[in-house]
Amino acid sequence: MPPKKLSDELVHREHMARFPQRWSTGPVMGKFLQALRDEKRILANVCPRCGRSQVPPREVCAVCRVEAMQFEEVGPAGTLRSFDVVFYASPDPVTGQSREVPYATAYVELDGSKGGATFWHELHETDMSKLRRGLRVRAVFEEDGKRTGAITDIKYFEIIEGGT
Amino acid sequence: MPRKTRPVAIVGVGQTRHSSHREDVNQPELVHEAVRLAIDDAGLSLSDIDAVVTGNMEMFEGTHQPDMWQVLGNGAWGKPCLRVSTGGTTGSTVFCAADQLVASGLHDVVLAIGFEKQQEGHTTGGITAMADPLWARHLQTGALTGMAALEVIDEFGLDRARRAAMRYRVIMDQHAAKNPNAHRRFNLSFDMIDDLMQKSPPLVGELRLIHMCSQSDGAGAMIFAAGDRVASLNRRPPVWVQDHVTVHREETLALAGVATYDAQGRLETTTQRRAAEILLARNNIDKPVEEIDVFEMYDPSAWWGLSWIRDFLLLEGDEHLQMVERGDIGIEGRFPINPSGGVTATNPIGATALLRPLEAALQIRGDAGTHQVPRPIRKALASGFGGTLWTVLMLLSKDQPNN
Amino acid sequence: MATKSDAFVVEGTFALPYNYFAGRVGSTWLVALRDERKIYGVRHPKTGKVVVPPRQVDERDFTDLTGDWVEVGPEGRVTGFTIIRYREPYQPLPLPYGLALIQLDGADTSLAHVVRGEDLNRLAVGLRVRAVFARERKASILDISHFEPV
Repeated sequence: MPPKKLSDELVHREHMARFPQRWSTGPVMGKFLQALRDEKRILANVCPRCGRSQVPPREVCAVCRVEAMQFEEVGPAGTLRSFDVVFYASPDPVTGQSREVPYATAYVELDGSKGGATFWHELHETDMSKLRRGLRVRAVFEEDGKRTGAITDIKYFEIIEGGT
Repeated sequence: MPRKTRPVAIVGVGQTRHSSHREDVNQPELVHEAVRLAIDDAGLSLSDIDAVVTGNMEMFEGTHQPDMWQVLGNGAWGKPCLRVSTGGTTGSTVFCAADQLVASGLHDVVLAIGFEKQQEGHTTGGITAMADPLWARHLQTGALTGMAALEVIDEFGLDRARRAAMRYRVIMDQHAAKNPNAHRRFNLSFDMIDDLMQKSPPLVGELRLIHMCSQSDGAGAMIFAAGDRVASLNRRPPVWVQDHVTVHREETLALAGVATYDAQGRLETTTQRRAAEILLARNNIDKPVEEIDVFEMYDPSAWWGLSWIRDFLLLEGDEHLQMVERGDIGIEGRFPINPSGGVTATNPIGATALLRPLEAALQIRGDAGTHQVPRPIRKALASGFGGTLWTVLMLLSKDQPNN
Repeated sequence: MATKSDAFVVEGTFALPYNYFAGRVGSTWLVALRDERKIYGVRHPKTGKVVVPPRQVDERDFTDLTGDWVEVGPEGRVTGFTIIRYREPYQPLPLPYGLALIQLDGADTSLAHVVRGEDLNRLAVGLRVRAVFARERKASILDISHFEPV
């Protein structure tokens, strides 16, 4: 048999990896998400050692590594510490479909939060000329009956007009 | 300083040509190219390899247990093989693991491999999928962020910051042009800066396509050997692993980790600066710019690369901007950074953080070819980046360390 | 204070698009399934062993294996098997079927593939089977639709 010529045609397959998942919130994130859903309140937990707030709360202080089980309400207003305006459409890993752009995200230092920790969420303003660090912003909640105990119970943060 | 039972040297390196597309090979075949080059470079044969450490990014290629499949090409058949996956730092963690396997006395000769076929998945989607599903998955855009740009702009003004970032990018591209293995080579020049600032497509905030790292297919391999084996492996001069350090931030939320700001509104100490403080102090390096000869930095974007010069070299104020503006970081400059072209040129992510010490080792050996820094290199720094801004910082030396 | 009773379960999905590239050696094999309806192996130049599916190098000694392509099968012998009856949403093929390792005539390694037939209980180590090619072929492993007992 003559030597086999290697193929010029290069085969590839496209596929979508798609499967259902279930996540337990755990007690701390569960308490935080339920407060969003039932009371429209944003809860931080406070480190008993360094006194810094974490929002959303985590089981231990990320710096001191001690259990942090004291909760305090923060926000819903705060100060914009950083932001991103996204023009690049990437796949949303929840659906596999490209996201709509532009959208913006914000790092907000919520009022009452201690130690400079910021809270990451969507920002309802994609015009970069209107955005700067230090702006006052506030959380806008989903209406009653539509909140599910998820991040999206806060729809977004919006700029407080005239706020300084 | 962590104690080593015995000194460890890098005795062989190999890498593929990096490209946006490698339809002609599957994953084991891609990895095989780098492995064979490294074994040949060391003058060894497959039977000399005692163990293999390999790594890549999770979720990038959509294949399960790549370490096992890749035994078809990676040289691990019948040998201890360990897969490491620490996000963007993977390649550097592979480096550290291989060094430790030899330093501990467990194995004499260890092969370290990093690879990625980004053509097989969606990089930004994959990174986003790694974020906390209850929170950050709704918000994250992979590793794309304009926040680093925002920091530099707020501190130094829009025009100076934009020009410095683009100047950094042009220098990297000029280096990549000298490196035949580099993926993106645009032949950029400084007179194009105004045009690029206007026309390169925006990705996130002030981060434009031209600033961001590429999505590459490629692999790299390094061979580590116990110091007492080096005399019998004298094909090329050994490069000694002097030290390395890994610094993490909390792995919970965002690219900014715990984004906390000090009283001046600046992000608190970065893992880059923290890693440099630890590594340089315990190796008695007071003036890194003078005592280190070259730096291969994992620069995921021109903005981060620009900003991290200050942190890694423990500089203050605008010294890092001045270094870029003066051209100090060029291949013939006072402190060359990324003579390979770095990560904005070439980014097969699972390999990227291994390619940094690999390129640094080539510089020390004098084997970097057309992108060799034109003066003797005795000490080289290399960094890895990943996750919520983690850092691995590695120090390589031409001289055998005393540790 | 947060307690266990604060925890709840969130349902979600994961979805990401992927590509897979067979490479030149793998493509040569798959294209031959489609265009020639032939199954090839590659012969190791030193040991003479024939590997199916073909691979670029021998994993034990790094010898290039792409020089000597030989046709194998289409009949072979089952060297190991299981029967899939368990139904779940991600099962890609109609149930039930045998999943078998098949050493094709002329090959030294076994190929994993599907066995179908009237009586799956006949499936046993040593059973002779024959490749049945799909009518519509797409350069895929399923261009061999399945194997059936001879």
